[in-house]
Amino acid sequence: MINKATAKKVLNQLLGSGGQFGELFVQKKVANNLRLDDNKIENSSSGFEIGCGLRLIYKDSTYYGFVDSVEEAKLIESAKILSFAVSNSKINKPLDLNESRNSYNIKILDYPDKVLPEIKKQILVSVNSSARNKSEYIYQVTAALSDLEEEIIIANSEGVFSKNFLVKTFLAVSVIALRGAEVRTGYKSLAKTKGFELFTEKKPEDVASEAAAMAINMLDAINAPVGISPVIIGPGFGGVIFHEACGHGLEADAIIKNASVFKDKIGSRIASETVTAIDDSTLEYHWGSYKFDDEGCSSQRNVLIEKGILKSYLLDVKSSKKLSLPQTGNGRRQSYRDIPFPRMSNTFIDNGVEKPDTILGSVKKGIYAKEFSGGQVDPATGDFVFGISEGYMIENGQLGYPIKGATLIGNGPEILGKIEAVGNDIDYAPGFCGKNGQSVTNEVGQPTIKVSSITVGGTGAA
Amino acid sequence: MVNLKNNDKKNDMETAQKISLLMDKAGIDEYEIYISNSIDNDIEIFEGEVESLSYSDSKGAGIRVFKENSIGYAYTNSFEENSLSDTIEKAILNSKITAREDINGLPSKDEYKYPDAPDLSREMYDEEFFKATIEDKIKLSMDLEKIVKGKDRRISGLDSLNYSDNFSETTLLNSKGFKGAYKSTSCFLFLNIISKEGDDTSTGFSFSYGRNPQKLNLEKIAQEAVSKSVNLLGAKKIKSKNADILLDSLVSSQFLGVIASILTSDSVQKGKSLFKDKLGEKIFSENINIFDSGILKKGFSSKPFDAEGVNKGNTQIFKDGVLQTYLYDCYTARKDKTLSTGNAVRSSYKSTPSVGISNFYMEPSKDKSFENILKSIDDGFYVIDIIGLHSGANPVTGDISVGAKGLWIKNGTLDFPVKEVTIATDILSFCKKIHTIGSDLKFFPSGGFIGSPSLYIKDISISGI
Repeated sequence: MINKATAKKVLNQLLGSGGQFGELFVQKKVANNLRLDDNKIENSSSGFEIGCGLRLIYKDSTYYGFVDSVEEAKLIESAKILSFAVSNSKINKPLDLNESRNSYNIKILDYPDKVLPEIKKQILVSVNSSARNKSEYIYQVTAALSDLEEEIIIANSEGVFSKNFLVKTFLAVSVIALRGAEVRTGYKSLAKTKGFELFTEKKPEDVASEAAAMAINMLDAINAPVGISPVIIGPGFGGVIFHEACGHGLEADAIIKNASVFKDKIGSRIASETVTAIDDSTLEYHWGSYKFDDEGCSSQRNVLIEKGILKSYLLDVKSSKKLSLPQTGNGRRQSYRDIPFPRMSNTFIDNGVEKPDTILGSVKKGIYAKEFSGGQVDPATGDFVFGISEGYMIENGQLGYPIKGATLIGNGPEILGKIEAVGNDIDYAPGFCGKNGQSVTNEVGQPTIKVSSITVGGTGAA
Repeated sequence: MVNLKNNDKKNDMETAQKISLLMDKAGIDEYEIYISNSIDNDIEIFEGEVESLSYSDSKGAGIRVFKENSIGYAYTNSFEENSLSDTIEKAILNSKITAREDINGLPSKDEYKYPDAPDLSREMYDEEFFKATIEDKIKLSMDLEKIVKGKDRRISGLDSLNYSDNFSETTLLNSKGFKGAYKSTSCFLFLNIISKEGDDTSTGFSFSYGRNPQKLNLEKIAQEAVSKSVNLLGAKKIKSKNADILLDSLVSSQFLGVIASILTSDSVQKGKSLFKDKLGEKIFSENINIFDSGILKKGFSSKPFDAEGVNKGNTQIFKDGVLQTYLYDCYTARKDKTLSTGNAVRSSYKSTPSVGISNFYMEPSKDKSFENILKSIDDGFYVIDIIGLHSGANPVTGDISVGAKGLWIKNGTLDFPVKEVTIATDILSFCKKIHTIGSDLKFFPSGGFIGSPSLYIKDISISGI
């Protein structure tokens, strides 16, 4: 798309009026989306996008623009206009570009853009029938299959020249079960940074059955009780609570803005000793993984919390300069149209030692939250809310009735101190995270954990 | 200052016609070309400095083809001839695997429910917009920061202060002879502040929008965000109980948004709406009227035609509490043997049309001001903000459970701040329990444009300690 010589020319132009940091982010995206709803393929769509984002930093200010093109003349012209934002007599010359290398190398077997539409269709058709075959109560099935191949080249005035090629495949299945007047929903997704070989490892039909099973289990749900209760959060998607209620507060832009409860807490105890939490963008094929972040910095494994002690924030170029801390490979952006900022990648609470059964057995009366519909958090205060989409009562150490309409509400930092037990059954779940209007791919994860008390919201009796 | 103007931008209708020449030769039955082109400015201010400034000028086209009663879609942001040919080819390829149905096809004039919309160009587009320079917009944002900081000593900082504006042109052309275009301007200012007292931290946000930057009311945004934030300092949890609640219009409009999402014919036809089979039934009390208008004056979602070229109009969905109709695009209207209400929407050139809302609002009462309602409440919860609605409301089952913060009401006055509680109900009970409607209709941009007065609701379950 762009070579070093062109990149160097554009960077020269960009820093021509005295800017301190210049960067090009060139991207090409080929996307396909297929959707099944109401027993038929409702939509099949394909897209092509190409463009280049230009970023200029002077003092604490970022100036950003983009063009829907990668032609040299257009890039030079844009760089020139952008450079007018700065006027400084000291001209910084960009360093020579050196192609970045690292050990993150994954192999794609079955490139999605080459997979025939008819084969993609068959995947969704079999998803539909396996969900419906699960039970007579399955009333509606919606499934989406998306794939993306993207090429990214990043060049900056500090000599970085990185090339990234990403392949992403995503399957999501939503199911509605209906029995009499009871309506319940189920959802499962499968997503990796790999091609259609994804579906040889896990069958789409199994994803469909799991979504259907969830909706069917929930048909027997009783109203969730209100009030404070011990809560066991299941492995996998339960990690979304850590992501929302703590992870966002560790993103360095929140620290700089004094909008995080974790400011000035590096080296301090912020969680119980059982908790070790990690952000790792190098996990091969995971949904939130990459070779380089969207500023050309190598992906890496960052220990955020070690045995309850805060170890690291998540940084991008700008926050790393401002806080004088090394970059962590977490500068990410939605596309060439967007300014990067610190984001999580694959973020999880690490395995502990306890067996999940032992943890369950330790709760006399409480709530087991297996799946969540998502949540929201105020990073400045750490206050959060999460909707439980599949949950159960715990009675005498055993799972009881499923519950509906339940929400967990609390404060991230407080909850971190109340994690009493961490299991040894880590699992991960893919998703998308929105921040400042930009969506990026993330994975959350955790083993089974026990929180001594959280407020549960519902409509049932306490 | 920063202006990355694309030099080769030509008239979009000409571009659409150029694409249509290629499509005429592609052997398809019908097609539609949608081009959107927009210029965006975003400014973020932090501690008296420009934290970031970005400018974008982008354009893309989405094409929808109909071949043998199947639909295919593809989009591109590259207008070179080979990219356009590839896009057409991909759209045709996509049409080979989608469902074949007789009712697929472009809209005809006799399927429009509403006549030609009144001239909205002056509502949607304001020449004044272009008079403000980037420097003016930076100054305006910095002025807001100063006003905020002078308001209260407990303000510890700004979590975000963002100005953004947009000029966009939308062009639609189809093979049945439809040709239309409109342009719009808008700007938006958002503020989220943090205040601290002792160990307690509290946040409060506010925003303002208009067709040009002069329409933004800085004093009002600053006061709202500051009040929200400092009034909630020292908030405590309360015991779980059932209570009467007064929803601020910002909060009630979010609940209305959940209701709106299941009034689309698409969700009803697929059995994903609890309003299915409820036409003619009384859902709310008789004083409630709800509209979706695509031609509302000052409505941010007003436009002359929808995403597939059908005229916009004003649809009354609930009359005296009774469900009158759902919202339709052309496909769902054919399925129900009715007319399209002009509710086909798309979020960008990358997406196919689907059914969605325009300006969706509940009619306010004439005489019940917020203050009057407040005075009438002996014991209740004034909800200022909710969180977790996206995950806490299931529009299919109707369950709603969200986090809430606000102020407890005692004897008609605001008594003490409350946080970390949830309010839970289900959509149909919520609709029935609306007791009093305020006269203070306010609109909020959130996936369409949703307007609600403040609402007083009886007997809702609150979970605390």
